[in-house]
Amino acid sequence: MNMVRLIILAVLGLGAIWFAWRVFMTSSMVRSALSLLASMAILGIIFLVLEAEFLGILQIMMMATEMSIMAIFMMMYMMDPGGMGNMDMSHQKKLSIGVGIFSGATVILLVAFSDWGRIAIQIPEASKQNYDLGMELMKRSMMIFETAGTSILVAMIATVLPFKNRKKNNQKSTDNG
Amino acid sequence: MAELILVLAIGAILFAIGLYGALSQTNLVMIMMGIELMLGAAMLNLVAFWRYLHPDTYSLQMFVLVGMTVMALEAAVGFAVGTQRFRSKGSVEMEEASDLKE
Repeated sequence: MNMVRLIILAVLGLGAIWFAWRVFMTSSMVRSALSLLASMAILGIIFLVLEAEFLGILQIMMMATEMSIMAIFMMMYMMDPGGMGNMDMSHQKKLSIGVGIFSGATVILLVAFSDWGRIAIQIPEASKQNYDLGMELMKRSMMIFETAGTSILVAMIATVLPFKNRKKNNQKSTDNG
Repeated sequence: MAELILVLAIGAILFAIGLYGALSQTNLVMIMMGIELMLGAAMLNLVAFWRYLHPDTYSLQMFVLVGMTVMALEAAVGFAVGTQRFRSKGSVEMEEASDLKE
């Protein structure tokens, strides 16, 4: 067991959990988006510590972009994006906390008392990982990965469709009004 | 073994926080943030399973890529719905969105 890596993983994990918790505890929406960005970036660093270099870099790059866009949308749509009014935007808190604690505790118990079999010590180096991942995507798992492409197409159609008949709908509502 | 259990426990706690957020928040963008956290936890578990149990099986890494795609799509579709709601109702509060089921 590598003690240094265990300590690094524990520290990074605490950081990811702390920032994830801050997402829902701050009243500033911009801080929420930046906390989520920090949590996701730390997840990317954990991927790097677990020696999945390609996925780690990809995670950090994707989340930096996505959370920046999310912060912009937050500022556009929120009544109080800076959190100066301390608005409470939550409901069914007790139920949510109960479900969260129950699910988390159940999974941790299952993880702790499961037999995980033999743990791998050596893993392929980064260049071989990338080559093998590419081969996996282009050979055995091609059909599964193609579903990601199809999903992107469906999402593109789904994001455009709500706006297609906007002019017509607006005209109809003006006529009714 | 301790490293695997630690990483899976971190994933479980992140999933629980995401679940709490998705259930407790009333704002669409905040609900999306909770879902993103849950997907992030799932990806962490997949990477841990690859690293400690099956380092020669790359389908686990492939599913992480699929998970990242799902995260991006969830954000895109969520923002499209949010933009449409904001234009028509002036708010993305989900407590005011009961008219969606009519």
